[in-house]
Amino acid sequence: MTVETGTPATIVDTIQHEIPGIKVTKQGERRLRIDVARDSLPALLELLKGRLGFIHLSAISCVDWPETDEFELVYHVWSYERKTLASAHITIPRNPGRFVSVYDIHTPAGFYERDIHEMFGVVFVGAPNLRPFILTSWGGPPPMLKSFNTREYVNQTYEWVDYQPDWLKDVEAKGGGVEK
Amino acid sequence: MTGSEKVPVVTDQPETCRVADAEEKSLLRKVMDNFADHCRSRSLFVLHYCTGCGAIELPPTITSRFDMERVGVSPMVTPRQADLLLITGYLSVKTLKRVILSYEQMQAPKYVVGFGSCTINGGMYWNSYATVKRLDQYIPVDSYIAGCMPRPEAIQQVFLDLMAKIDAGKATAWQDYYLNYDAYLGRQMNLFGQDWHTPTDVVAEAKHYGYVGNGTTGEHTALLDQRATWSLDTVPELYPARGRNERSRP
Repeated sequence: MTVETGTPATIVDTIQHEIPGIKVTKQGERRLRIDVARDSLPALLELLKGRLGFIHLSAISCVDWPETDEFELVYHVWSYERKTLASAHITIPRNPGRFVSVYDIHTPAGFYERDIHEMFGVVFVGAPNLRPFILTSWGGPPPMLKSFNTREYVNQTYEWVDYQPDWLKDVEAKGGGVEK
Repeated sequence: MTGSEKVPVVTDQPETCRVADAEEKSLLRKVMDNFADHCRSRSLFVLHYCTGCGAIELPPTITSRFDMERVGVSPMVTPRQADLLLITGYLSVKTLKRVILSYEQMQAPKYVVGFGSCTINGGMYWNSYATVKRLDQYIPVDSYIAGCMPRPEAIQQVFLDLMAKIDAGKATAWQDYYLNYDAYLGRQMNLFGQDWHTPTDVVAEAKHYGYVGNGTTGEHTALLDQRATWSLDTVPELYPARGRNERSRP
């Protein structure tokens, strides 16, 4: 694999030359933020991996935006030669919440996509395995959605400790008790 | 009061539970029990279940600074050889399953100490969907140590308190698991689903130890009995490899 050497400025030039209309922001010495249309994302990852040396997909993160009814997916790729992290941001509509898997470009994406599918309910078409991953005996909705009411679920599922037990009254009558 | 009237016998135990009466507990037996309790309290082997951050307080407790072996408390690596299960920190639903499996493998008499605020009410993870709030709903707990984190002094204090309780014959929480197994199993099933079961036959153990109470069996243990009829032969589709090997055998 040949890697084009150069400063981050040449990375920006290369990306913008290959994928017109893309927005690349240099956020720091070694941080690039790339905002891209969702249909161009696989091509962008191919370009970053094949020509610019961003071979390490270190994470895919997902953000739930109920105001705009969208999921934001962020693909973080790292280049060992350039020591630069590029984060590609895309948005997909919450309904139906489907996107194409990038497993064929970056194999570790299989794990991240399985995780996001479990926690947000996003379906990745072409992902090798979307079975339940981390949650145990889970029957509820994807728990990382903003619409999931954690406190209500906890109150339904678990019982709380009695903070005013009867024996505490005896202690308080003698002048003791819990420090407030 | 005439002689024909029956005097009601008031006990704090259910009637079906075996309660040793005064005659049965002969003097020799009492002496032996007291001696055994005394010896147990001086030789506690601790299985520490280190899933939470509380585990970091155990190395200073075990090693030379505080040296808990001075009082006869020593770490142990397997549940079957341990007396005391130390739950160090928060439990998720996933780890609680493993805790119950470990607890049921321990030989009675066995003791459990919940370590840190997380085992009491979830601690700082109180509103997390995955963190179990009260440990004593799922297994019986002898003592709790409050704090986030408790210092080694507090851990040593709970060991001394537990030793005094064992010596006095009052550390009997493990009997509660047998006497009220159906309620414990019901709460476990609420969390893990109706299919939840462990390899240990707790009801048979309760009979063996003589701690069968009104709460030992019930609607939840009835579900276990239905499942007990399963075997390798009744569900062959679960074990296809075994079937193939048998057919290919000459």
